[in-house]
Amino acid sequence: MNNILIYLVLFPILTGSFLGLLKCKKSLKQRILTIITIFMQSALLAGSFYVLTFVKNSGTIIQNIGNWPDFIGITLKADMYAVAFVLMSICLFTFAMIYQLTESHIEARIFSLLLILEGLIIGIFVSNDLFNIFVLIEVATIVISLLIMYKKDTISTYDGMLYLLVNITAMSLFLFGIGMLYKMTGVIDLTGLKDILSVFPDKKALIVPYGLMLTAVCLKSAVLPLFSWLPHAHATPSAPSAISAVLSGIYVKSGIYLFLRIQNVFSDVFDTYFLFLILGFVTAVAGFMLAVSQKDIKLLLAYSTISQIGMIMMGLSMNSVSAYIGGVYHIVNHAFFKSCLFLTAGIIIDAYKTRNIDSIRGVFKKHPIVAIACVISILGITGAPLLNGSISKYWISYGAKGWAEYALIIINIGTMAIFLKFSTILFGKGPDIKMNISKIRSLPVLILSVMCLLGGILSEPIISFLFNVQMSPNLIDYLEKSLLFFISLGIAYLLYRFVISKVNLYKIASRLELGFNGVCISMGVFLLVMILYIRVFAM
Amino acid sequence: MELITGENISILIFFVGFAGLMLKRNVIKSIICIGIMQVAIIIFFLSVGLSPENVPPIDATGLQNVADPLPQALMITDIVIGVGVTATALSLFIHMYHQFGTADWEKAFKLRKDSEE
Repeated sequence: MNNILIYLVLFPILTGSFLGLLKCKKSLKQRILTIITIFMQSALLAGSFYVLTFVKNSGTIIQNIGNWPDFIGITLKADMYAVAFVLMSICLFTFAMIYQLTESHIEARIFSLLLILEGLIIGIFVSNDLFNIFVLIEVATIVISLLIMYKKDTISTYDGMLYLLVNITAMSLFLFGIGMLYKMTGVIDLTGLKDILSVFPDKKALIVPYGLMLTAVCLKSAVLPLFSWLPHAHATPSAPSAISAVLSGIYVKSGIYLFLRIQNVFSDVFDTYFLFLILGFVTAVAGFMLAVSQKDIKLLLAYSTISQIGMIMMGLSMNSVSAYIGGVYHIVNHAFFKSCLFLTAGIIIDAYKTRNIDSIRGVFKKHPIVAIACVISILGITGAPLLNGSISKYWISYGAKGWAEYALIIINIGTMAIFLKFSTILFGKGPDIKMNISKIRSLPVLILSVMCLLGGILSEPIISFLFNVQMSPNLIDYLEKSLLFFISLGIAYLLYRFVISKVNLYKIASRLELGFNGVCISMGVFLLVMILYIRVFAM
Repeated sequence: MELITGENISILIFFVGFAGLMLKRNVIKSIICIGIMQVAIIIFFLSVGLSPENVPPIDATGLQNVADPLPQALMITDIVIGVGVTATALSLFIHMYHQFGTADWEKAFKLRKDSEE
């Protein structure tokens, strides 16, 4: 069982590649796909559980591929965070695939691409070598752009093309940064790099590679000026909802994970906590402003992802342990409720045949199970008491100092305003349509929402199981936060009722969108600002 | 100090490619610019720690002055990825051209917005 990490990466990729060749009758195909999916996912779940218990009992696994000495060959490293993310992504991929299996028209190609993507994402999480991470992300970019423009209609071809070229440009910057680092230090292994950088004499020489790499990582995780590609990629109309859920729930997290790892390596050299605290706040505010002004429910969800990413980034950059754990736990939580919301949105869109938020009404009456799942995940994302979002937000604000505490409240009010707008689809009197959804279709959605609930009630054992830390919220503080939740809900309602629903924000928001050249220019400006900031403030 | 070294030239070429991405509106030119950036990266990696008297690291029997083999191994991988990326980008461009009838980013951007409404 020494090579289990390699199998976790390789197994889904190989199966996916063979699945792409599958050609047979429709009923047989469905059966084969169901069997393979169930077999594959349960094998992966078992494997990742095994790794998790192994890591808990005997510490981090480091595996040198090809038995090269340290820092020369590629190494895979599974520490607590990496395994927790692997487990999370396998879980969510399972639900997305079950959902995809219940589509009326299923194709083997989507499953083959999804399995390949799953292997690549697991690879990104466990890889400990910068060049290896680059290769995995590059291949994942290609796979995702194929998934985005799967139907090849007008809108999705543009979105896929923009996604592909923007991300490849960013990864070129990343690779150039790796080259400069290699020139100075002679290693590209993250562990070796951290050892060398902590005693590195010439800090000035490190500014440019650090700036290049962080620009790429910030584009991957959609920080403020660099997020124009994200909403369209995650919410392109013709892409299946399972893919939107995977992209918004899991794939964007690989960017944040990379941010976490690179910040960890450079933490002895540069102090950029304040910069990313500000950037996170600005991203979160811009995200909810844009989300509130959307009419398309999938776009609304995609922009709210940006706002949540800003919040996670704030949590990771507060330089406090509890906020850090809160941020990491929020990554996991966000994966669950956002995929749940995207999948419910997919069911609703299929039933109503429209994505316009104004013409969907009365989901509660038509399909209570879907509506309940939707409500639970909305409560999760807004941080209602007892749900998973409240715990992670509690820990983030526990570690916040000074203005950051108020900033978090503002962001949460914004999130509430977004989802007050979203929840209008649940009530009211809708058009007379039939929603004959099979029971299996609503099953993954329901399980996901139950997991949001469990993540709140059982937060203590879950956090200690995943991250090996004991953190129990103080009851009085938690009650105070719950009170704050209801007060800010009131403010958000007033804001929504009297400001947002009256002003036509849609026109203003659509003007802020950038084309390809605009994204590249903002990338260049971001790089320059980064380098200047580090030179002046962070040395 | 020598100015014309592999590293300086590759930095120059890299930012020429990046400037092309910022300024050119043609999709094909964008793909070419990404190719230029990749070439610059390859030159950079290969010139890391390389001096004229180095010999190729092919024979394993204790040669003196062997060039560092790691960047070369990395760059073989990068060349393969570059081919894959360019091929994908061009084939996706064919689909985009069929839909929009233009190779201009701005025009496609406007058309996309119109078809959304």
